[in-house]
Amino acid sequence: MVVLLFFTTAVIMSLLIILLKRRVLTKILSLLFAVFLIGFTFYSWQNLNRTEFSYFTFDSAGVLLLSILALLSIPTIYHGFIYTVDDDPKKHSIYHAALIMLMTCMSGAYLANGMTILWIFVEATTLSVAALIYHDRNDAALEATWKYVFICSTGIALAYLGILFLGFVYGRDDAANLSFDTLVGLIKQVNPLYLKIAFLFVFVGFSTKMGLFPMHTVTIDAHSVAPPPVSALISTTLMNVGFLSIFRVYSLFASSEILGFMNHVLILSGVLSLLIAAGYMLKAKHLKRMLAYSSLENMGLVAIALGIGGAGYYAAFLIIILHSLAKSSLFYQMGQLSRILNTFRLDNCGKYMALYPAGALVLIAGLITIMAIPPSGLFISELMIFRAMVNNNQWIALVIVILLLSFILYAMSIRIMHIVYSNPRRDFDPGPPSYVNPVETVSQFFLLGLVVVFCFYQPWFIADLINQSIAIFLP
Amino acid sequence: MVNYLIILFAVTLIYFASVERLTNYIRLISLQGSLLFGIAIFELKEINTANMLFIAAETLFIKTILVPYLLTRIIKRSGVTKVHRDAMPGFYLLILSISALLFSVILTQLMHNQYINSIFMAVALFTLFTGLLLIVTHRLIISHLIGFLVIENAVFLFSMAVGNRMPMLINIGILLDIFVGVLILVFFGLRLKPRTNELTMLKD
Repeated sequence: MVVLLFFTTAVIMSLLIILLKRRVLTKILSLLFAVFLIGFTFYSWQNLNRTEFSYFTFDSAGVLLLSILALLSIPTIYHGFIYTVDDDPKKHSIYHAALIMLMTCMSGAYLANGMTILWIFVEATTLSVAALIYHDRNDAALEATWKYVFICSTGIALAYLGILFLGFVYGRDDAANLSFDTLVGLIKQVNPLYLKIAFLFVFVGFSTKMGLFPMHTVTIDAHSVAPPPVSALISTTLMNVGFLSIFRVYSLFASSEILGFMNHVLILSGVLSLLIAAGYMLKAKHLKRMLAYSSLENMGLVAIALGIGGAGYYAAFLIIILHSLAKSSLFYQMGQLSRILNTFRLDNCGKYMALYPAGALVLIAGLITIMAIPPSGLFISELMIFRAMVNNNQWIALVIVILLLSFILYAMSIRIMHIVYSNPRRDFDPGPPSYVNPVETVSQFFLLGLVVVFCFYQPWFIADLINQSIAIFLP
Repeated sequence: MVNYLIILFAVTLIYFASVERLTNYIRLISLQGSLLFGIAIFELKEINTANMLFIAAETLFIKTILVPYLLTRIIKRSGVTKVHRDAMPGFYLLILSISALLFSVILTQLMHNQYINSIFMAVALFTLFTGLLLIVTHRLIISHLIGFLVIENAVFLFSMAVGNRMPMLINIGILLDIFVGVLILVFFGLRLKPRTNELTMLKD
């Protein structure tokens, strides 16, 4: 019943914020929600593998991703307060109410134990994140929100078709919730063509959330327009929702004869994602879009890791965790950068180290961690992927991936270094920079520090959860 | 009777490929809504009354009346009457549409299953491909909206194919229609300039 209490309380808090429109109350309720979410996460750790309210299970993969969300909830809310400080009460309340709903829906998606419930929560994340992308109410926000809602809705409709195909697989009266437990026993008896079509629909559909090729465009536009704290969530925990949805179906079908087919689809999609990320990052002119393509790159690596199998499964989860920490800190930093430089156009950026040293250090540390340069924990995960590729004799894929990663490293490095040290390329008068307290970067350094810690030491409780999540693939 | 309605539904999809006036698209969307109502009435005999009423409201009120009404308002507001001149010519679209139909029939034959009505499956797949074709080959936002609505109809048909066994899935599909379809139409359809064929503010 704790699950029900969590969802009910979150909805009530959200409604109170919308109805009362009081800034102080909004702040109190938002912080209370974060505390509540963290408490709920502790509860889920205490009750691992327990099912509540029939539709939710605290399984290891779900709890792991819920923990990341809980960890990011306080900095996201904190940076949200700063971003919305000048908003009128209506916009302020809509932002924070939608943020609470987004985090609630993501929690539901992580813990859902059936396809239909998972789908409902994924759909609900689209609606709540739409309100957040549209926050600034300008033409760019309208265009980005339109694209996001339209493409996500089309994608989610396709995912729904995939779920219906699973329904065809089952075809009994008691299959209405399509729970993973009930489906797993039937998979081996099913015509593989059904499974392939179902997987393709679900994969394409949920890749709108994961930000993978071929539906990657939707998140790129959303990133460049959404408020930075929201971009931090879209780029990390919301992408994790897409990853988990695809991983659930992948795990479900792994015992069937279509495992090889799924692996090929994942590797192909992953390599194409890397290719697109590399191509666009080499000509990127907008800082937030560049970070969005970096997310595409990391999700591409996750897909490749899953497709390779072996040590790749562990590496996929490691990337998901560490990418969430590193990328969110970079996006939080974008909020401060925009107040100092008043732009995200790369040509207009420069001399950041002189203007805001703390923020410049975050950018440099973020570059090192997100590009998997030691001592970043992501270095370990990429090394695991390369080793798995070598073990599988996938030399061509290995060479392509390393080449593309080199291009991405080059593209991102020169741009970040330009922002930090060079003069702006154009004559651009950004106006006087606002004062930004260096204390605002504390959460970013903390998150980046965690990524570094993972290079040397992976806490046993995290490693255990990852191993439990991929237990069906372990020998 | 159901088979006749489904075949009529498939004919409307072929007609989608050959029309250019947006008012014709709206008429077709409305006709499809009423055909889906007829199909639901005849097909879902084992379903309980509450679910049946829900489905009737969805097909008859939302798909047949509300959505076409909103689309008409968007068209009147924008003054745009035909698809964009850069859209793929009707002849090629017709060939693609018929190819999609053949592909759907072949795919259905390959997936023959005791739980599935083959005609439902073939037409649902054809509906899905038609919706995707409309989105890919047209450039106006309003055409994309219509493509999305056609995909929604495909989802509805798919869910009907297992409807007697899975009423909950149908309800979820309906919720998708109500929350997202109408949200897109009301909120964005009336705010964005529907004549716009290039959303280029955000690009690399």
